[in-house]
Amino acid sequence: MSVLRGNHYALLGLEPGATTEQIERAFRYLIELYGEDALATYSLLDSGEAKQMRAQLREAYDVLRDPVRHLEYDVRHGLISGRTPSPGNQLPGMPPLPGVGVSEDGEKAARAAVRPDPVVLPEPVNGRVLKAHREERGIRLREIADSTKITLRYLEYIEADRYSALPAAVYLRGFLQEYARAIGLDPRRTSESYLANSGIQEGGE
Amino acid sequence: MNGRPGTAGSSTRQIWSLGGGKGGIGKSLLAAALGYELARMGKRVILVDADLGGANLHTCLGMGAPEKTLGDFILRRVERIEDVLVETAFRGLRLISGASDFLGAANIKHLQKVRVLSRIRSLDVDVVILDLGAGTAFNVVDFFLISDVGLLTLVPEPTSIESGYRFLKAALYRRLRSVAPTEAIRHLVDAAGDRKHPLGIRSPLDLLNTVAMEDQRALEPLRREMAAFHPRFVLNQVRDEEDGAIGHQLVTACARHLGISASYAGCVHFDDAVWKSLRQRRLFAVDAPACRAAEDVRRLARGLLGGENLALEWT
Repeated sequence: MSVLRGNHYALLGLEPGATTEQIERAFRYLIELYGEDALATYSLLDSGEAKQMRAQLREAYDVLRDPVRHLEYDVRHGLISGRTPSPGNQLPGMPPLPGVGVSEDGEKAARAAVRPDPVVLPEPVNGRVLKAHREERGIRLREIADSTKITLRYLEYIEADRYSALPAAVYLRGFLQEYARAIGLDPRRTSESYLANSGIQEGGE
Repeated sequence: MNGRPGTAGSSTRQIWSLGGGKGGIGKSLLAAALGYELARMGKRVILVDADLGGANLHTCLGMGAPEKTLGDFILRRVERIEDVLVETAFRGLRLISGASDFLGAANIKHLQKVRVLSRIRSLDVDVVILDLGAGTAFNVVDFFLISDVGLLTLVPEPTSIESGYRFLKAALYRRLRSVAPTEAIRHLVDAAGDRKHPLGIRSPLDLLNTVAMEDQRALEPLRREMAAFHPRFVLNQVRDEEDGAIGHQLVTACARHLGISASYAGCVHFDDAVWKSLRQRRLFAVDAPACRAAEDVRRLARGLLGGENLALEWT
């Protein structure tokens, strides 16, 4: 069975101009649809096709959720003009754009102008506040496990502050950064704050 | 199957069918409960046990095996299909019991089937509900295809979903074959239904691509037929929210990988009250009207009458 082709929007079942929230929801819905052993698709696609589909979805999502890459993608595919967008065709979920030229300088300017500040939680960061932030955004742990490939159990331990059950700090830092990224938090500051609060030492087992 | 039922309160006659490809997933119970709920809403309803050879809809309604059955009509022991209609205990709801009383009932001949289908179509009621048997035999699929509302009943289990997809493909290929303009295209449709065929056509979408390469002119009637095929999923024995969400996933998967424009009519929760009532040979919607499954069926009946489907929130 042929795996779907088309642009990033079509792959996510969206139209150009979809909001950030729609992109998030579509990705989470579809990554679950094509998950390993997903009831609705396991008999339609073989495991290789499903894996390919997940990879394509991640690629589309990574581009469309990043304001700069999103903009570059739209310009490159002629979905918006390279000139300053009017309020009517401004990408949803993004702040008003300054001059967005196709020149390198213009793109640099756009990059600087549109990159949103990452969300930084107040100190101290622990499992409880991470869980509250995740739930507020309506993201389920299973979705994070599917998109990050971090075992669901470890995600539960992170939110439960079960430090003794968590892996060594060198691995945990990576887990925390992936988790933070998935729920829209600053990966570096979130992981540092969580590790500092937990007392888990780098280099420890 | 046009997928456009009339609105609640209209007197337009509709045929609903409940198929599913697999046995034991609650089609008959759902058919009986839907019929009961529609009758309670004031509709004139006839339930037809089209599970030729395995009829048991009467049991779901708390009745003994009726004297007259569809078999009598098929074998011309009676002239009119109305002669095998029996009243149920519920006002507005009548039953045509299935033909399990003669050997070979499941294998009726084409002309016999055409006669049954045509007479069902002429019944003077608001809604006819066909309870179909398991499998994908033509005698099952053809009953599904004459309906205005084709309900594909599934339970959230792999075997049921596999059978459901198989049933959908069988029904669609049957329909496409009937409009294939040439013998060569009919062969392609047949090849699509054969997983081991060297052409390797795995889905209706693959079939259309193959037809497009073979004979561009043949594409349009097939496309039209595919576009008019609108099955609706009903998920039965749902245990939690995740189970219920599978209905949406099935719709998306059908559109993306089969090219079938399906919709999700709703779900009915797993409920002990259902089997407790069945053990007593009573209908759960009557016996335990406040149970969750009965509420689900009421919601489903209203939604189907109004032509409503469940939609994903973000679409």
